[in-house]
Amino acid sequence: MKTRKTEYRFLMPAIVVVAIMTQFPFLLTVIFSTLRWNLSRPDLPRTFNGFDNYLYFLKIESLQHIPEFFSILWQTVLITGVTLLLCSVVGFILALLLDHEIPGVNIARTLMLGPFFVMSTASGVIWKTTIFNTTFGWYGVIAKALGATPVDLVSYHPIGVIIVLFTWQWMPFFILVLLAGLQGIPQDLVDSMRIDGVSWLQGVFKIKLPLIMNHMRVAIMLGLVFLIKEFGLILVTTAGGPGTRSYTLPYAVYMQVFSANNVGRASALAVMTVVLTLILVNLLYRSIVKRNARYS
Amino acid sequence: MSEKTLVQVQRTIRMRHLWKKILMTALVYGIAIAYFFPILYMFLSGFKTEQQAVMPAIFFKPTLETYRKVLSDPTMYQYLRNSLFQVIVGTGFSLLLGVPASFALVFGRLKHPESNGKFYLWFITTILLPPVAVLIPLFTWYQQLNLINTPYGLMMAYVGFHTPIVVWMVHSFFSDLPGEIFEAAEIDGCSKLQQLTRIAIPLARTGIISAGLLVAVFIWNEFFLGFNLTGNPTATLPVYMSRFREQQGMFVAQLSASSTIAVLPAIILGWMTQKALVKGLTMGAVKG
Repeated sequence: MKTRKTEYRFLMPAIVVVAIMTQFPFLLTVIFSTLRWNLSRPDLPRTFNGFDNYLYFLKIESLQHIPEFFSILWQTVLITGVTLLLCSVVGFILALLLDHEIPGVNIARTLMLGPFFVMSTASGVIWKTTIFNTTFGWYGVIAKALGATPVDLVSYHPIGVIIVLFTWQWMPFFILVLLAGLQGIPQDLVDSMRIDGVSWLQGVFKIKLPLIMNHMRVAIMLGLVFLIKEFGLILVTTAGGPGTRSYTLPYAVYMQVFSANNVGRASALAVMTVVLTLILVNLLYRSIVKRNARYS
Repeated sequence: MSEKTLVQVQRTIRMRHLWKKILMTALVYGIAIAYFFPILYMFLSGFKTEQQAVMPAIFFKPTLETYRKVLSDPTMYQYLRNSLFQVIVGTGFSLLLGVPASFALVFGRLKHPESNGKFYLWFITTILLPPVAVLIPLFTWYQQLNLINTPYGLMMAYVGFHTPIVVWMVHSFFSDLPGEIFEAAEIDGCSKLQQLTRIAIPLARTGIISAGLLVAVFIWNEFFLGFNLTGNPTATLPVYMSRFREQQGMFVAQLSASSTIAVLPAIILGWMTQKALVKGLTMGAVKG
């Protein structure tokens, strides 16, 4: 009995702090999402208004007037989905490349990991000023040297720019995890593949890829969790613009609180962000469990 | 087949292998350098004067003038100091809470045998929670309590969000330790606290250090909470970097020098953690 007490003494402080700083505020957010509460109107009482805040975003009155929420939801899913797709396809190819015995291959691996640790606001401003800028950046200079007219990518292709930057930042993580998977494949299996005359393509797609599929899923899951909440990079590159064309859910929550001062609606959006995260993670997690069940 | 032709064939095969290897090396290094280029160019541009930095160039006469200017700016120091406070205190508390908790989860006998797994899963699910889900209540509390203008409010939020990451990673390192050691220590009259500080922590030292370094990198780079839960005197480096966003194409050298200072510590710490990063973050999940 005495030892059991110390175990709870080890565990409880962490649980209490994490609960107070994350779960409790989240419950409050859920409660706030049912209130009519505008910070810029302190004269109005905070009143319960049921699901009105949700309906404001979700209610489709006519097909000509689809609420903005749906385009923001679509942009969030599009940015996250395309980034994850690029990261897993190109990341897998690069991991295969880095899996070779080459002199000093660790230096190349280390260099490619670098962008993962760069703070998103810094990578945003650096890319925006030294690369995407039409007169002073590499893109502008190279485009002009080739005789083309550089366009302002940040305003013409905001979603593309965000996807490129997200991919640049997250692909190193995919490479790291997939490379660990590839190097975990036993050498005698690779040798017997060679002896049996398995072609390169067959080896990669029929043997190596299935073997590291769980690494792939883990990378996608973590990437999803972190990408869906990304905010800083969007703020410094496109600031959600032009208009709301590159808003994502976290950015929309931020605008609802600090621009529209509408706590109730912002909370409803935040809750829907969590719901979206949970749905997507759940779908991925199920595919992992199902697969493990089939193989064990 | 005569002996001579056999040698020739072997030599051609060897040559072909050599060429393949050289091409592969060139390709790998080419891609790696191109991928790293934005960071490299940022690093180089910090050594330019503003006049030199206007047009892209890789070769130039380096100067320390810009770094001197950036480092003599007192606001830069303030941001740097705030960031260091968050990283050191936030990481410290996250480890202080997370390491004993993971020890209890791996080796402890809780009331119900299945509790260990349940609590562990609870910690993992909090990692899924995006910071937007907690921003609004925290923001309203902090405004009422005037925590916006002290570093402690943000620090507490960081501890809440990063303790689960410590638990997640350290859990996988503790799971590698053989349970028999602790049973033997128990019989020898070693208390749980002694088992943790004298046996578990020294044995899983490298893993715990890597978890700490990774959390330090996460806190150093965190923007969303840092941006929304701080005032001018308490803002951190990522917030400082975001203020450069309005200055299109101006002060490239200054921007590069500042971002090098903001980015380099995280990259170096991150490189040090890369092995543990894969193991700590994927092991539980890969094994399923």
